[in-house]
Amino acid sequence: MQTLSLKKLFNFEKTPLNVVMAVTTVALLAAFMAGAVAYILHGHHVYNVTRQHPWGLLIAMYVFFVVSSTGLCIISSIGHVFGIPEFQQIGKRAIAGAIITISSGFAVIGLEIGHPMTMLIYNVLTPGLTSAIWWMGTLYGLYLTFICLEFFFLAIKVNHTFSKLFGICGLLVGLAAHSNLGAVFGFLVSRPSANGVFYPVYFILSAMITGCYLIFLMYGFRYKMNFPEKVSVMLVKLSKILGMLLAVLIFFEAWKIITALYGDMPERAETILHAVKHPNFWFGELILGMLIPFTIILLSNAKAIKATVYASISGMVGIFFMRYDLVHDTLLYPMTTLKRSEYQVAPTFVEYFPSAAEFAIGFGGIGLALFLYYVADKVFNLDETTQH
Amino acid sequence: MARYGMALNYKNCINCRACESACKEENGVLLLPDHYRIWVGVKEAEGQFPNISIASQTYHPSQCQHCDNAPCQQVCPTNATYYGEGGMVMVDPTKCILCTYCINACPYDARYVDNRTNTVDKCTFCSDTRLANGETTTACQATCPTKVRVFGDLDDPNSEISLLLANKEYRQVKEHLGTKPKLFYIL
Amino acid sequence: MKVEISRRRFLQGSVAMSIAGGVSMSSSSMMASAATPAKKVGNEDKKIATLCEMCVNKCAAIAHVRNGVVEKLDPNPLFPKSRNMLCARGNSGIQALYDPDRLKYPLIRDGEKGSGKFKRVSWDEAYAYINEKLTKILDEEKDNRSTVAFCAGEGMAEHTFKSFFTMFGSSHFLNHASLCLATTVSGYSLTIGGYGIADLDNAKYVIMAGANRAEAIVTPDTMDMFKRTNGRGAKLITVDPRFTNTAAKSDKWLAINVGTDLAFVLALTYVVIKEERYNKAFVENYFNGFEEYKNHILNNNYTPEWAEKITGIKAKDIYEVARDFMAHAPQAIYYQGRRTTWSKNDFQLRRAQAIFSALGGGIDVKGGICFGKSLPLVEHDAVAPMYAQAKPRIEKDEAAVVGGSGSWVAFRNMVLENRSPYPIRALFNYKHNPMQNMPNNAKTAEFLKKLDLVVTIDTMPSDTVMLSDVILPECTYLERTDPVVSYGGIEPSIAQRNKAIDPMFESKPVMEIMRGLSAKLTKPLFEITKKYDEDVQSAIEDDDEETVYAEFDLTKPFAHDQAELNVNAVAKYEGAADILKEKGVFYPNMNEYFKKVGVNDYEYYPEHKRAYSVRNMKFNTPSGKIECSVPALAKKGIDAMPVWRSEYEMAIPAGKFRFITGRHAQFTQSGTSNNRLLLNLVPQNYAWINKRVAEKLGITFGDKLEVSSKIGKTTIKAYPTEKIGPDTLFFVHGFGVYSKALSLGYNNGGNDAAIIEDGIEPMHGSSCLHDTIVEIRKV
Repeated sequence: MQTLSLKKLFNFEKTPLNVVMAVTTVALLAAFMAGAVAYILHGHHVYNVTRQHPWGLLIAMYVFFVVSSTGLCIISSIGHVFGIPEFQQIGKRAIAGAIITISSGFAVIGLEIGHPMTMLIYNVLTPGLTSAIWWMGTLYGLYLTFICLEFFFLAIKVNHTFSKLFGICGLLVGLAAHSNLGAVFGFLVSRPSANGVFYPVYFILSAMITGCYLIFLMYGFRYKMNFPEKVSVMLVKLSKILGMLLAVLIFFEAWKIITALYGDMPERAETILHAVKHPNFWFGELILGMLIPFTIILLSNAKAIKATVYASISGMVGIFFMRYDLVHDTLLYPMTTLKRSEYQVAPTFVEYFPSAAEFAIGFGGIGLALFLYYVADKVFNLDETTQH
Repeated sequence: MARYGMALNYKNCINCRACESACKEENGVLLLPDHYRIWVGVKEAEGQFPNISIASQTYHPSQCQHCDNAPCQQVCPTNATYYGEGGMVMVDPTKCILCTYCINACPYDARYVDNRTNTVDKCTFCSDTRLANGETTTACQATCPTKVRVFGDLDDPNSEISLLLANKEYRQVKEHLGTKPKLFYIL
Repeated sequence: MKVEISRRRFLQGSVAMSIAGGVSMSSSSMMASAATPAKKVGNEDKKIATLCEMCVNKCAAIAHVRNGVVEKLDPNPLFPKSRNMLCARGNSGIQALYDPDRLKYPLIRDGEKGSGKFKRVSWDEAYAYINEKLTKILDEEKDNRSTVAFCAGEGMAEHTFKSFFTMFGSSHFLNHASLCLATTVSGYSLTIGGYGIADLDNAKYVIMAGANRAEAIVTPDTMDMFKRTNGRGAKLITVDPRFTNTAAKSDKWLAINVGTDLAFVLALTYVVIKEERYNKAFVENYFNGFEEYKNHILNNNYTPEWAEKITGIKAKDIYEVARDFMAHAPQAIYYQGRRTTWSKNDFQLRRAQAIFSALGGGIDVKGGICFGKSLPLVEHDAVAPMYAQAKPRIEKDEAAVVGGSGSWVAFRNMVLENRSPYPIRALFNYKHNPMQNMPNNAKTAEFLKKLDLVVTIDTMPSDTVMLSDVILPECTYLERTDPVVSYGGIEPSIAQRNKAIDPMFESKPVMEIMRGLSAKLTKPLFEITKKYDEDVQSAIEDDDEETVYAEFDLTKPFAHDQAELNVNAVAKYEGAADILKEKGVFYPNMNEYFKKVGVNDYEYYPEHKRAYSVRNMKFNTPSGKIECSVPALAKKGIDAMPVWRSEYEMAIPAGKFRFITGRHAQFTQSGTSNNRLLLNLVPQNYAWINKRVAEKLGITFGDKLEVSSKIGKTTIKAYPTEKIGPDTLFFVHGFGVYSKALSLGYNNGGNDAAIIEDGIEPMHGSSCLHDTIVEIRKV
């Protein structure tokens, strides 16, 4: 850990990329603040969530962040938990990223949950043990504690035994938490398109993919595309893992869609068909999130690291659509298809588009993550330290 | 211990929506979008003028089904949603964190966010506003012009609702989800 | 009223008015009520028995009052007529009470008429202003009292206002009748001796034509009917150009061409006469002129095949309905209907319906059309003054029979078109809204502007209120005790509206308004009568002035407190006054008869005590029998027997629509246009247009349409539906308010008064609400 003056903290090399990143970060942070202020002043009215669509962009962004966090945690564990040497180097950076992304997620969800203080109290006093949200929230709390300790013993008071111990704990609890997040959706008996085993499993898979994308992005930025040999070797391997994971994901998705459509089951088939016809799915999720990165990896035999970094941008945009669709598609089908008044058209698929405040807070959360990452990068040495 | 439910002679329903207005007045439901504890679903006539299928236009008074196995209760992280006296599904606003998970989980669209308390609100069978004061009917039942609703104790074999259910055919809504709803639509 | 009077007092006995609760009361009662303490404060929690006034049914309600605030209205199960229910409107009475747009203070116009500018004045200033204007007008018109017209909306306190009218001595009283039910009431009365009560609790076969009891709620008809439909005791046949909620509850829906119901009934009659399916014993004993009617129907060949071409209803269906009806008779009813001012043949239609119903013998029997019993109240006749200069009704010759409630449209149009034999210069209006409830509101506005003085008593700033000169704020029904009313019927009862809370702001009950106004006017108006009325002058010479003035004393009907008057009115029933005050409803043996028989059901009278048959087969008609022919009217151009005339058929040009209007269960005409709760249920009205026609015109749900007729236009959103035919357009009445003072109702939806043409039918001069051709344009 370095001692650091404020002046030094905010001093950086004024390359065009850095300036763009700085401006973006500040703008997103400002948006986050503005959204938060709007929410504090007007409550949920500033969100476009409704009775029929109670969850919106903020839930999607929360999922986005915690998936990122879990993904980074899993990928980092390849090195320092499972001991694959090439991956040792990413430990600190990945864990820092995991802490930062989950913190951003908590910041976003804090502005979505109506009564976060009540949550802290009654989560303990009257725990809802049948609730996936209770398990997810509680386990994520524990997970954050573990990965903070892990980071402490990795970067501040270096102790490999402890860092490994907490790393294992963090990984296990993180996996549990994350599959519970999948279960938040999977447990919804009222929503046939979400109900079932798919989400808890898919969440782990897509977390790993997200983790890969983020590692590529962090390293691409860290080394400005001039990767040292050691990093290149690691990234090529990571790229192979990513390619394999993407293949599995595509396989998963294909079967999910086919089984949903097969037999034309009421609600489920209609919902999935509606969802896959939407550009959010075929362009956002499929092309950006899966096919572009997968094609690049496949065509370059996983060697085109620079291209993969760019593909990871596309991938992360795709991941965003996956999270957004996860929430929106789950809520697509109305819970009552009857009209409530003569003068309306019969309810069909529920419509939702995020409000300005939701965009501000949701995407502002990315600014928060970027800012925290910048600070972490300044304060801590996130590269592999060789002196031990 | 009583187990309250409601039978609906829904063929009596003329979609006048007296029940909705009585509910709003009795329970102080705000007159805002999305704020309704009960409603009348309209299934509109099919066919082309003048060959309309009369039977196709039907009215379905709806509300919380006070499920014996309520998905909303299972998913609540703080047990703010609980089974109250008489098996009624209730929300304790002091515990509600407004995660709205229950709204997602309810298969019946029976829940909404109350703008005043900023917590989730729903039908209580008027337990706080009427039953607590010694009334034996809900506001929606009392006011109904064609007497669609029969509220009562399902565990009392001599209650009017029990006798009705013992002697009439009825259907339930989405009972295949295992929710064990306590609203019964008399055929 | 044109009576040669030489000695006034000699004739006084012939014109009497009734004042409920009479003259024997001491005048101290009024002071006593004024002395009772005003608003109570503290933890007060009480239940007051009241009667709803959100529509005309007057259902019994219990108002829960906590700390002076009405918190909830519940149904009062005691009232046989309302059968333990409150509809959506009944529940929303609280919103009418606490509507922020309510009229709160007396106002006098302070700008051009229609500018919406008023200034707040005290009650006394308002009375003084009216006095000044009115004395000037009457002086100029030489005490022709008929220069001042009176109009009132339906309600329990209408009686109080009418007392003022009677004392005032004008010939012009106008109310909703000629815009509503005049034709059906007289059609049935002249035929079977009364409008009657359809016993829907016991009928086995009911034809509802144009009546929409699922949406236009009438008690107890609505409640009795729909518990028994869908194969549960009563067959219901709905005849309507629209697929209404009532149609949805029916065994059969016959989509009829607008305005052709008479042809349908004539064909039904043809079938039962031709096939001799009618109740022969009943017809033989109780029909007057049946042979003549039979020949009329048969000779005119009113066959179902003939009717099919006119009505659009298949002959096969007409045969089936006619046969079924008679198979179920006498427990079979051709339902009378209520708001029946549809088209020119309406009176004849109602006559034909009544005769058809009677052919089955279902008159004055259980399950048919009953007349019921009533519980008389104590009434005292007070002597009404006669004004020698008061001239007769101006519109009396505009239709065959213009009764005591006038022909609104004819009256208005005569004034506007300067066809009135003498000037009409002022209007007193009690809670009536002709701007919305009378066709052609452009004319109504012009009419109101033309008058020198329009005084309106109301609770809300309606379109009519905004065109008035003086506005007197009445309190709502929850803030006043109204005259006790006796409801005759199969299960008769007496009901009373008791005040739930004190009047808010400076509003007053109409009784107090009339008391204040009459006190101000009585002397100055008498001076004018004295000036122009020779009889009065000579009477004063004979007697002293004070004795003569006593006859003309306008304040007489308002001397007493309403609650005290009510006590007197029910004096003949022991304990009734207290029960009415406490429970709102009374009938003899109520304690014994009234039983709860289920969680929802009550018995009011034991079966054998119900007044199903009361006439002893002697009907209240000139011959004591069912009148097939009414020849007396022929002289006035009214067919003695129902005839279908070719002019009744109205061609609808291609691309245009015949406009019809109606009701939904959430609104009462224009009276609820600003009700927050009801608008929360249904935010506005929509124009029904056939879906396929809409598709061709590129109109989808919610598109804005301009609907225009010869006389005006309005804008409204579209509701494409197959529930209406391709040449018909419908929207519900009472929306599209012009008054900006109604913040929720203003410009909300379409206004039918702006487009419906103001034709009248020949019998009573009732307006034909369904005789307008409209076109539409997407905007």
